[in-house]
Order: sequence, then C-alpha cells, then structure tokens
Amino acid sequence: MEILVVENIVKGFGGVTAVQDLSFAVSKGEIYSIIGPNGAGKSTVFNCINGLYRPDSGTISFGGRDITGLNPDKIATAGISRTFQNLELFSRMTTLQNLLLGRHVSTTYSIWQMLTFNFRNSKAAKQEILQREKAEDVIEFLELEPYRDRPVFSLPYGVQKLVELGRALAMEPDILLLDEPAAGLNHEERQDMIFWIQDIRNELGITIVVIEHNMQLVKDISDRVLAINFGQKLVEGSVEDVLRDQSVIRAYLGEPAL
Amino acid sequence: MIVQLLISSLVTGSIYALIALAMAIIYKASEIPNFAQGEMAMVSTYITFVLLSTFGFPFLTALVLTLTFAFLLGILFEFLLIRRAKEPNLLGFIIITLGFQLLLFGLAGWKWGSDQRTFTLPFSESEVVVRTSSFVLTEHNLASLIIAMVIMVILYLILNHTKLGLAMRACQQNVGAAMFNGIPANRILGITFGISSIVGAIAGILVAPITTLDPTMMWDPLVKGFAAAVLGSMKSLPGVVIGGLLLGLIENLFGFYVSLEFKSIVAFGVIMLILFIKPSGLFAKHYIRKV
Amino acid sequence: MRLKRVYFEDIRLFKTTASLVWTLLFLLLLFLVPFIFKTYYLSVVNLMCLNVIVALGLNILVGNTGQISLGHAGFVAIGAYTAAILLQAGVPFVFTLIIAGLVSCLVGAFLGLPSLRLEGPYLAIVTLGFGLAVMVIIGRMEMFGGRMGLMIPRIDLNWSGLSYDRTLYYVFIIITILMTILAHNIIHSKIGRAFQAIRDSDIAASVTGINLVHYKTLSFAVSAFFAGIGGALWALYLQFVTPGTFSLMMSVLFLATVVLGGLGSVTGSVLGGIVMTLLNLQLEKVVTVPLFGDLIVFLSDTIMNPSGIANIRWVLTGLILILIILYEPHGLNGIWLRIKRYWNLWPF
Repeated sequence: MEILVVENIVKGFGGVTAVQDLSFAVSKGEIYSIIGPNGAGKSTVFNCINGLYRPDSGTISFGGRDITGLNPDKIATAGISRTFQNLELFSRMTTLQNLLLGRHVSTTYSIWQMLTFNFRNSKAAKQEILQREKAEDVIEFLELEPYRDRPVFSLPYGVQKLVELGRALAMEPDILLLDEPAAGLNHEERQDMIFWIQDIRNELGITIVVIEHNMQLVKDISDRVLAINFGQKLVEGSVEDVLRDQSVIRAYLGEPAL
Repeated sequence: MIVQLLISSLVTGSIYALIALAMAIIYKASEIPNFAQGEMAMVSTYITFVLLSTFGFPFLTALVLTLTFAFLLGILFEFLLIRRAKEPNLLGFIIITLGFQLLLFGLAGWKWGSDQRTFTLPFSESEVVVRTSSFVLTEHNLASLIIAMVIMVILYLILNHTKLGLAMRACQQNVGAAMFNGIPANRILGITFGISSIVGAIAGILVAPITTLDPTMMWDPLVKGFAAAVLGSMKSLPGVVIGGLLLGLIENLFGFYVSLEFKSIVAFGVIMLILFIKPSGLFAKHYIRKV
Repeated sequence: MRLKRVYFEDIRLFKTTASLVWTLLFLLLLFLVPFIFKTYYLSVVNLMCLNVIVALGLNILVGNTGQISLGHAGFVAIGAYTAAILLQAGVPFVFTLIIAGLVSCLVGAFLGLPSLRLEGPYLAIVTLGFGLAVMVIIGRMEMFGGRMGLMIPRIDLNWSGLSYDRTLYYVFIIITILMTILAHNIIHSKIGRAFQAIRDSDIAASVTGINLVHYKTLSFAVSAFFAGIGGALWALYLQFVTPGTFSLMMSVLFLATVVLGGLGSVTGSVLGGIVMTLLNLQLEKVVTVPLFGDLIVFLSDTIMNPSGIANIRWVLTGLILILIILYEPHGLNGIWLRIKRYWNLWPF
C-alpha cells in the first residue's frame, strides 16, 4: 500500500529549478532512499513534503489525503516527522525537553487546564506524566540515558544526531524523513545509525525515507532507491539496479572522457 | 505651500537619512542595531558646543576636533564593549548598546544637563537665503541639505572606491572569508563604528539648532532614523536614504494635511503597514533560512 | 534502568521538602513585614511587586520565546488607564484587575499578529513604535485626561480591619505570588516548551507540530496580560496616571530588569524586579556610600557638575547592564544558582 505519493512536483527559486516534475511513491513499511549528487534537489523534496516549501505545482498525498501546501505543523500532526541535514535542535534545552517537544502534538491539555498543572490529579499533570513516560521510552530505545538532562548544545555531534532522531521518533510518526542521517558520523556511529534505522522500521513499523550520500548505508538499509539529478528522476528500483545504472554513474562521475 | 512642505520634508528627511545611514553601516557589518547612536551624536554635539562657546575655537577647528572625537568614541565603544561580549547574540548586543546609551545619557546629564542651551552654527535657522511668495529657504535648511548630500557622496566613495571600503564590504559579506584573506576584521569593524559615529555626530550638529541642546535631544531623531533604516531595510544603504526621505515626507504631509498632534507617530503606523507586507523592509528580499 | 520513577516530582512546585520549608519561611517573613517595618517600606515592596509582575511577563516574551519588545511600557499604560477608568466608574477592584489584564492581553495579541514574520531590529522598531504611539495617543485624548492624566480613587479595603496601607500591601503580595505561580506553570508546561522551541529554532518547532502563528501570538498576549495586571497595580499604587510615566525609558528599564535578573527564568524575573526597584530608588543615594560616594562627589565638583548629580542613576544603570551582559549573561539568577550549588556542597 502506498502511504506517500508525490506527483509531478515542481519547485523553483527565482529562475533556478530545484525540482522538476518529480514523481515517486513510498509503500508502507519500506525503507526508501533518495540519492543524487550535491544540489540535485533532494532536500528540496523533503522541504516540500513537510511543508517548509510550497511546491509550485504538483501534489503530495499522504495516506490518501492531499497535504500539498499545508503548514509544517499541520503536516507534522498528520504523521510525518523528519530530521535535518545540519541539525535543527532546540539547542539550549535538554535532551528530555527536546523529546518532550516531539510529544507536543500528543500533549492534549488546554491553556486553562495548565493552570492546575501543580496538582497531581489534574488533567495537565497526568498528561505531562504520560508524555514523560513516552519520552523516556524513546530515551531507553536510543540509549540516551546519560544525556537526559544535559542541554543538547553541549553534546557530541553524534549524540545530537540521535537526539534529533529521538525527537522525530517521539512524535510516533507514520513516516519518518531522514535527511543525511550519517553525515558527519564516524564509522562506528554510522554502523549504529544503520542499526537504529533498521530497528525503527522492524520494531516500530515506521516507514522511512532517507536521503544519503553514503552508499554503504544506502546498500545496507534500502528496500528501494530513487536516484535524481537536476531535480529529475534518473532511475528508481532495487539498490543493485540503481547503483549499476549508467545514468546514475554519469551523474556522480560525469561523462566518460572520449 | 507645497514647495515649503517639500523643503521641510527634504531637510528632516535628510537628517533622518544620516542617522539611518549611521545605524545601517553598523548593522550591515555586524547585525547590531546600535541604540547608542543617538547619545553618541548628542555627546559629540556637546563637544562642539563646548569647543565653540567655552574655548572659543573657530567653527571649522571645532568641527574637525569634534569629528575626531566622534571617530574615537565609536572605535572605543567597539573595542571596549562590543568586542568583549561573551555570548554574542542579538539581544545581548541590543542590551549593550542600550546600556551604553544610558551611560552616555547619564554622563551628559551629569555634566551639562542642568540647563538648556541654545546652539548656534555659522548657518542659522533665522537667516533666509531665498524668499519667494511660496516658500522660504533658510541658511540652515540649505546647509543641512548640502552637508547631508556631501556626506552621502563621501560614504559612497569610501565604500565603493577605496581599499578600506572593499575590506568593509568583504567583512559584511563573510567575516570568516575576509579574515582568511588577511583582512583584520576586528579592526575593520572598529573603523566602521568610528565612521558611523562621525555620520551620527554630523546629524546631531544639524539637529541641535532646531531643537535645543539637551541630553534628550536625539531621542526622537534616533527613533525616526532607526525607523527610516528599517523602512529601507537595514542592509541597503541607498534604501535607508530613501527610507529617511520618505519618512520626512510622510511626517510633514501628514502633519500639515491631517493632524499635527499625531505627526510624531504616523511614521510607526506606516512602518507597521509596510513591514506587514514586506517583513524585511522595502528594499530587501525576505530572507529564508536554508535547511 | 530508570532512576526516576515518579515523574510528578519534576512537575510540582516544590521539588524538595527543603524548598517548601524555605518558601514557607519566606512567606511568613512577607506576612510579618507590615508589623516590623515603617509604611514607607511597604510602598517599596509594593513597587517591587509591580516590577516583578511586569518582568515575569516580559521575560516570557524575551527570555523564553526569544522575541524583543521595546514597548512594554505601552502595555503597562493600557493596563493602568483601563484600571483608572474602571475604578473611577466604581467597578470592583477584582474585576478591574482582570479586565485591565485582558484588555492589555487583547492589544498584545493584535500587536503580535503583524510581528509574526518580523525578527531582530524589525520587531524592535515595531514594538518601540507601539510604545511611543500608546503614550502619544493617551496624552492627546480627552477621555484619558490628556497630559494631566487621571486620578484614581482609593479602593475599598475596609473589610480587612487593617489599615489601608497594610491591606494594600497584602493585596499586592498575594497577586504577585499568584502571578509568579502562573508564570512558573506557563514556562514549565507544554506552552512554555513551545515558546522555548520557537526561540531555539522556529523551523524545528514548526516541523514538530508547533503552530508558530498561534504560539507567537500567545506569547505576546500572555506577556501583555502580565504587563496589564502590573499596570493596574501601578494605577492603584501611584493613585494617578500620566502619559509621561510610560515612556521609552520605562520600556528600556523593564528590559534591563529582565536582563539583570536572568533571561528565561522565573527566579530571574523576581530577583531582577526586586533589585532593579532598589537600584531605581537608591542609586541617587550612592553619594552616601563611603569611598565610592566620595569619589563621585569629588568628580562632580571637579570635572562634572554638582547640580546634575541625580543623573548618576542612569550612568550606573547603564554600567550595570553592560557589565551583566559582558560578565554574567545569566544575570542574578546565574549568581543565585552558583550560590545554591556552593551551599549544597558545603562544607566540602
């Protein structure tokens, strides 16, 4: 079953077309990778999907519902969460607070109920405790216990990446968009990341779309791969097929010298 | 009457434009809105006054000494305070400039605040140069316009046709890259503050004869100059000049045709409206952070 | 392994018994103040209460949400004038207070709307203009008493059986405590977390499902609500309001209060409000301080001018602001935390 369908989206920035008439569909429960050289428009695709950019034309539907042009917070509420290429964390807040923000949408109490926040049996306090438990589950899942109460700007880069992943997971999304999850990680951390991504799909059943440059990671985790260049689809298929495809090789290495 | 209105609009507008320029030069270089700009100008104006009245210097000597003082004041401000900020963020810088503003305001009040003085320049507000049936042009009007114009031209020449200007523009675009290419970015920022302070001081000297010499004399012009800079989008120098002139025009027309009482705040109504449509001012593309 | 099983511990007002005990002792002290000190000191505490309340609100906007306001005196003025008009019309105090807060809150929301896309200097100029505009409009309108301002009748406090000043003191203290708890709850609830998220990264905030329009407006509204309540108490405290009181300088001093106290912390707002009030009242007496005072008098007589010595207050306020940013960016709250840590470890 197709959970995310992108149809003919176009996005340009003042004369430069970043994405040109791109279509693809992601099935429920798969790990779908998007590859392509720098500037191919990969991140722009993500930004269009989760509403940071509004595509010039084309439609994006999620779970059968048209989400094109909705605000990012609406799309997040609908069940799409993401991480960023260069980390967008709440850097002065602690790991726990970052994860609790991932629970923001699910934390249901009104501004009036907040007033009774200090009483153990109030709705607000019960909600806070419930969401805290959920956040602690994520901490446990990603083994973030040592960093729970530290402000995230003070954490090593690799851990910050995990916190961002944790925040996205805490949202209990149906689909997770990972923008270069292995960028900036060393070999060991990269292996861990592969392990987490597989775990998230296998244990939590979350559909994952990954943008990645590291071919090892792409090979290890992907069910299907989409290669794009200049915002257009080059080829889509299994890992082996895509990586062997001449157009993909040319996109990465350039035209063979004659 | 319309000619007279246009003249006063141009005069107030060019004073706003000078203050706006002073703020914009610093903002372009460091993203700091310098709220101390007005008080720095006020203190410089007092220096001119003291040199003229107490020491009896000829005007040009006093002017040169004042501008030197203003330049040093700007450099010292950058070197002693701005550069020492530990966790530089926008709010921190705003607070430092506000603190410096209070400091200068207090010092000026302590030294000179007890009585108001009248400040006379060689070009007076009461001497008329041209008088026709439809308008009057005073010496001060004419001098303000000429001086403002000259300053703008000099700034343009410095920024676009000197090595210093090239370095300043390099630092504005990318401090890191500028430093790798051997430009002493800190020193350039200091000089920027100095130049900005000079421009402000000239605005102060032009303002003083219109109002009275008083520690609060730059409050209103500063706010208006800042507003003009924002209107023209802090980062475009031609933009802030147009912003200043526009603001002078709006104020004077509104004051004459609609309401003199609310003249002083109409500027903000206009600015709110414009920023609502163009959040980064008239002459800028709204900048969206890339992720 | 989970070390903390009972998460409620992290939510409740008093995290440890010790803090509860200290708070109760502090409250007892506050209760006893009218019986120990002269009436003058009661009015000093009242002034502190006002500043604390406004600082609490401004801190939510500036420290937690990361927006800048240079026009908070405008909201205080709106609260004060609403209260003045209502009290003159004979509306009971409790309703007056709430309405003053709500009117200011509404205006805050309206100001918040055009400010949604603005940041940095652009937001600064809009709020600054707002503050000045409020001052000018109030000063020019008959119904607000123009430049002369409005007189405010004393409220009926005879029910307490205590003198007016003492009762007023208790009223101020209780309102301040309630507002402090409110600020604490806002900051520590999901609303406060959303505010801080916007401060740290608005992009990440929006992709975690935070509605930026909603929360930025809310932050302005909440902040203005506090300022409105502070304004109503201000009217009650001064017994008359004039537009000149709510100047740009007042807005700057409120911002200074928040920075001095410590951005983004309730303790900071409270400490800042208290210390700033003392500074405002006492800075002119700095000449009586041994050595330092003598130095200032000496400077006054030689280089400066003895008749302008009252301005020393601005000099020192400015210096304090600069020094705080340069050497103690977390303000008094930072110092307070360090003292607490030191005592926790004492005597090691």
